[in-house]
Amino acid sequence: MKLNEKILTHFLSCTSPVDKEGYLYKKERNGTYHRRWFVLKANLLFYQERPADRHLMGVIVLEGCTVQMLESDGYFPFSLEFGAGFKSYRFAAGDAQTQGRWMKALFLASHCYLSCLLRDLERQYEEAKQQQESNVPSSSFKSLCPPTNSLLVPTLGPSAAVREGRSFSATAALPPRSLPTKVTGKKSPKKWPRRNAYVTPLNGPAPLYGEWPLVGSDPLVEFSKLHAYYGKEVQNAREEWLRSRQTEENHSEKDLIDLG
Amino acid sequence: MRFNEKELVCLSRQPSEMAAELGMRGPKKGDVVKRRLVKLVVNFLFYFRTDEEEPVGALLLEQCRVEREDTQIFSVAFLDDAERKYLFECDSEEQCKEWIDSIIKASYEFMRRNLIFYRTEIHRLTGKDPLEQYGISEETRFQVNSGSQLMARDTSSL
Repeated sequence: MKLNEKILTHFLSCTSPVDKEGYLYKKERNGTYHRRWFVLKANLLFYQERPADRHLMGVIVLEGCTVQMLESDGYFPFSLEFGAGFKSYRFAAGDAQTQGRWMKALFLASHCYLSCLLRDLERQYEEAKQQQESNVPSSSFKSLCPPTNSLLVPTLGPSAAVREGRSFSATAALPPRSLPTKVTGKKSPKKWPRRNAYVTPLNGPAPLYGEWPLVGSDPLVEFSKLHAYYGKEVQNAREEWLRSRQTEENHSEKDLIDLG
Repeated sequence: MRFNEKELVCLSRQPSEMAAELGMRGPKKGDVVKRRLVKLVVNFLFYFRTDEEEPVGALLLEQCRVEREDTQIFSVAFLDDAERKYLFECDSEEQCKEWIDSIIKASYEFMRRNLIFYRTEIHRLTGKDPLEQYGISEETRFQVNSGSQLMARDTSSL
């Protein structure tokens, strides 16, 4: 089967995000490890001898595989397993941290994983929009649906270092784990959330077919609704600004510089 | 360039909603239209001779432009050479539209952008980052500003 190499080489060198890159050892057929430069982009793992090399040695398509930690042999090995009948791809890192990071990155790399995640977020987005439209106050907002098991990433602590055969698969259901809840105390300083550049602009020209992603399943939304929806941000920001001005005025008598 | 051919062939055999016999023409001058079973699996477009089990070839659907060429014909061009297009002849206008839509939406980068949009919006609407519950909120893969290649190269490990 032909795989158009030019397309792949171009994809590697284009400006789409690099998800991870670095040196790893790759085990060759004769059993020896060779150091290679790996670039992980989307669901593809490219490798070459050195970062600047123009020659692309190879690529591994990361669909239908699990990531497996192997018993330490002085290095920090792990493998990609594609199932019965397929050979495994063996790698080794120089330390546990690198090993853990690569394993996690590879675990999340598949198109299937992204597809599941995307479907889940689409659903959450629709629910969140509905909640907003029915004007339910945020305090009574029900917690988001419990995480889908298959999307949970097992945490790789230092104690998990040497355990043979521990595999991570994005498609297998994992036992439910209670993830530590991270409390973000700090409030975002941004009044204007970073808008994704690919959201259909309100006043711009109609997007050319094929260039803009179809965000959500809404057909043409009435301009008035869109205006109200995005206009809320402006309203909130304005109110906050007015409030802060009030506080400033109240403190205007105090000297700007305290001369003791 | 080496690639995991056996696994990719296996991938091509996975069930797909978008699989049909289309007239396919390669990008080179002199390429003629051939009847092929064209199949979309993840972000690859596989094409088979109609009676064969192993695909003739595979095209990675990233960094490509999909366009309507005619009522029933669409093209896929890869951005390194917009002049060279693969042409696909469908049996109906409906089918043609469906293929164009499916190919665009199959791109990993397209999906990633949508994910980032939903993540941002959900966070804005609920105050919660939906990726935290999966333990992946810090992954560079899902960051808002992923698109730059200004990443420190990890050469320390070896």
